[in-house]
Amino acid sequence: MSKNKYLLLISSLGVLLLLVAAAVQENFLREWRRVQASGRNEEGSIAVQLRQIVNPGLKTSDRCVSCHVTMAPGESTVTGSKLLTAHKPVVHDPSEWGCTVCHAGQGQATDRADAHGDVHFWPDPMIEPRFSQAGCGSCHAPLGVPEEERLSLARNTFARLDCYACHKVDGRGGMIRPDGGGMEGPDLSRVGINNYDRDWYAKHLQQHQQATQGPWRNSFAAVNDQDRALLADYLATTMAAPKLIEAKAVFNSTGCLGCHKVSGVGGDEGMDLTREGEKDPGQINFAHLAGGHTVENWMAEHFRSPVSIVVGSQMPSLGLSDREVDLLTMYMRSLRRKDLPASFTPKDRVRAVRFGEREFAGDGATLFGTFCTGCHGGNGVGRRSPGMPSFPAIASPDLLGRVSDDFLTENITKGRPGRRMPAWGELTGGLKPEEIGKIVAYLRELGVPYQPDSKPARWIKADPEQGKKLFASICSGCHGAQGQGIEGPALSNKVLLATATDSYFVQTIGQGRRGTAMLGFLEPHPARPTLSQAEIESIVAFLRTWERGKK
Amino acid sequence: MSVGTEEKIEQRGSALHEFWQNLKSTPKSFLDTAFRGGAPKTDRTRSTFVFGNVFFHLHSVRTHRWSLRWTTTWGLGIATFAAFLITLITGVLLMFYYKPSPDVAYQSIKDIHFVVPTGRFMRNIHRWAGNVMVITVLLHMARAFYTAAYRKPRQFNWLMGMALLVVTLGLSFTGYLLPWDQLAYWAITIGANIAASPQEITNALGITQHFDPGGMQRLILLGSDTVGPEALIRFYLLHVMILPLVLALIVAVHFWRVRKDGGLARPADADRRLGPAKGTYPIFTEQPKKTYQLAAIVRGRTPAVGNGPEGTVPSMPHLFYGELAVLMLTVLICVALALIANAPLKELANPGVPENPAKAPWYFLGLQELVSFSAFMGGIGIPTIVLLGLGLIPYLDRETAGTGEWFGGPGGKKLAWRSVWFGLISVLAIESFVIRFGWLREWFPHIPQLVITAINPGTLLTLAYGAYSVWCVKKYNSTRAGAMALFTCFLCGFVVLTVIGTYFRGPNWVFYWSPADWPGH
Repeated sequence: MSKNKYLLLISSLGVLLLLVAAAVQENFLREWRRVQASGRNEEGSIAVQLRQIVNPGLKTSDRCVSCHVTMAPGESTVTGSKLLTAHKPVVHDPSEWGCTVCHAGQGQATDRADAHGDVHFWPDPMIEPRFSQAGCGSCHAPLGVPEEERLSLARNTFARLDCYACHKVDGRGGMIRPDGGGMEGPDLSRVGINNYDRDWYAKHLQQHQQATQGPWRNSFAAVNDQDRALLADYLATTMAAPKLIEAKAVFNSTGCLGCHKVSGVGGDEGMDLTREGEKDPGQINFAHLAGGHTVENWMAEHFRSPVSIVVGSQMPSLGLSDREVDLLTMYMRSLRRKDLPASFTPKDRVRAVRFGEREFAGDGATLFGTFCTGCHGGNGVGRRSPGMPSFPAIASPDLLGRVSDDFLTENITKGRPGRRMPAWGELTGGLKPEEIGKIVAYLRELGVPYQPDSKPARWIKADPEQGKKLFASICSGCHGAQGQGIEGPALSNKVLLATATDSYFVQTIGQGRRGTAMLGFLEPHPARPTLSQAEIESIVAFLRTWERGKK
Repeated sequence: MSVGTEEKIEQRGSALHEFWQNLKSTPKSFLDTAFRGGAPKTDRTRSTFVFGNVFFHLHSVRTHRWSLRWTTTWGLGIATFAAFLITLITGVLLMFYYKPSPDVAYQSIKDIHFVVPTGRFMRNIHRWAGNVMVITVLLHMARAFYTAAYRKPRQFNWLMGMALLVVTLGLSFTGYLLPWDQLAYWAITIGANIAASPQEITNALGITQHFDPGGMQRLILLGSDTVGPEALIRFYLLHVMILPLVLALIVAVHFWRVRKDGGLARPADADRRLGPAKGTYPIFTEQPKKTYQLAAIVRGRTPAVGNGPEGTVPSMPHLFYGELAVLMLTVLICVALALIANAPLKELANPGVPENPAKAPWYFLGLQELVSFSAFMGGIGIPTIVLLGLGLIPYLDRETAGTGEWFGGPGGKKLAWRSVWFGLISVLAIESFVIRFGWLREWFPHIPQLVITAINPGTLLTLAYGAYSVWCVKKYNSTRAGAMALFTCFLCGFVVLTVIGTYFRGPNWVFYWSPADWPGH
């Protein structure tokens, strides 16, 4: 019995010890208690207690302020630990809106790692502070963002015309200058969301003409149409998150939507990115990732080399700079959708969802940058990516000179079935006819105008049998025995055969297309046979048999 | 109160005085009425202490010294019950915060984990106590088997014990789904598919459309075709109400039977082996005056004079100290484990993203390994054979040699070791063969499923164990020897298959030496 007595004694003491340890850990060793103990305000030390911000409308109850006390309502004067610093001034006061609505993370947790979501299987970890503007994307949809070059041009225009003399944007400008050159005009930081007076120019001009001195006279002058268009582009994007807009401009210059969809617009080749920013680290395979196992790091490394992070990925490596990788990562993290009650839904989201306003600007360069550069390269120079058929250089004069605008429009609208070129029509890729028109016009700017010959669309009357033999021996190596395309493009393509003229085929076979592997077969060449005009015509006749077969 | 006042009260009369005296003695009389019979200081009051209390009287008043030796039981039964009590208390606490609906279940576990004061601690204890209970109930069964404690008159209690094993596994399994994370969701999906495994037979016969007991079983379990809200509420109800009640009921019968069957099994010559009691609490301190009464209710041939019947000691305090010690030790182990390791919580359940490998709870991974050969055999066939065999043991083994002794009976410890070797080598050989060379389906892709159902590593292993045990019956000329051979083999098979299923099976149930070798997805 004494053995049992000792066992009982030791076990009981052990349990007691462990319970005390657990109690001490729970009550005294919590980081937030230490942080609060260091806090002082005007009246002396502050009460050490669990603090939280509750916003029933947003369904948040954020206990982050148990450590970040200064962000709690009425506590902004507290000083002490280095955590006790005030939030920088923002539109959405954290003491009212809470923290997780913008920064994500786990508002109800009260340990640092848990709250920041730096624990296993927390599906929505905190957005890295350097990307914190991505949090705006939880509710907002930045509208009408142009491609990178145009955005910086538009921003520079705003500065060049010295609008900052009177107007404040993102904390810059709007001061009254000692020389009386400026005055306080409306803050334009968020007019991209809330809109602004579209007649501003007429009113400004009137004021300017009436004034004889002062800022209206000195700081304002007539603005030409081109600059006004740029200003309009710039103002459409202001939402007090310039970094995010810059990130989105990079996105709109990289052609990601060529393969991916966001909010129903884009290609089907890749994953839908509408909620990519909510990517759950628990569902991510970090096996091939060097460095930290964070969502941001995964995204950044994936941008650098998709196939080394996701085995078997079909996404080409885009050769991005570090700056572009960072900005694209930030934009990816901003692709979030918080379920909001109607009263909290911001205007830009309403305009995007209810009125179909575009998140990209409507000019040709932006549309091309948003949808086409991913495959066809910047300025349409084409792209070669290891393990994939090369993407055609569509700005080549050998193409643009031989095809009509209708050909381009039709091929963009209907795509190339069986190949990676998707159909961009409204019901599939989601582009409106006028947007496709803008892209075609932009292509023409990049290259040359159509130089039609006088022949009708179908003029060849040759023997397809001869063409069949020639195709099998000469063309099938690149274009496939059935014309399905291997390294070269598919020629059995319905859309191509329906829209291309006989002259287009004859010229392309005869003269080739510069910038691609297709060289002209009329020219003598040491490595492959030379074709006569008649032989080329017979091949075209053979190509046409596929069209009939398909019918 | 000064002496003067007291005197005054005394003088003034009896009623007030009586009131005062009664008030003063209330604590004592409260104790007297609560524990009638007085302080347990003599054998008589110790007896009253036990049989006068509804909870204690499940024990016999006196306990044999053989039962109190640590090596007799290692306290495994009490440890199991202690673990059950711990899960009961922590479970009730968790119920204050847990919400059994798929929309909020995961969130409420997150809250328990991160927000509720001591919530994580309680959940960890609950989880660890649940696992401890599964382990101790298995060890307890092994103890009862190896000491041949299932023999007459304890046959029925052995069956009760088996029922408790099944209910314990059921409790653990139903609790597995409640966090509604990926781990839970896919483990239960696997479990439900095991329930549906008779479909393997009905599909092969082409009668599933008309007669589908497997689908019916799964439907009853899940309340739907897939793991969803209905399954969650079913599992919740089973976990927090039905199964604990059933368990408590059977436990009561189990304990009662232990007492009614004459305490723990012991060798016939236990008294001689123990020798005279010395150093411990003296036996029968009072001169027994009414031993004939004891003789009437306690098994034994002659009234014992000057000695406790059959060398027993009072249960209070000897047995109770032991039980309390085991209880506290179990608490200590669970609390320590809870502080060391958190209960797992993966990401929210996602029916669209299957876990690969999706694994059942660890104690079912041996079965899952068998299921990977044949769903019916692994999920239904072999477990049924094993349970039937276990249930039949006490009715087939009617020998008496070795009762109450570790590895008692013909063959003894040597047979146990021999069976361990046979059990381990057969299961490892057959597993290595399958992992290296595959099985019939890989060699003959068009072979009928029924052939695989009949001939697969699981059934072959069962046959090998059966044949070995029959050989042992013949060799040792003893049913007990056969039973020991079979039980040992199955135990080895269970352990090896469970370890392989837990540590060496990766995506698509392919064998890997280490999770580090798993291919990325």
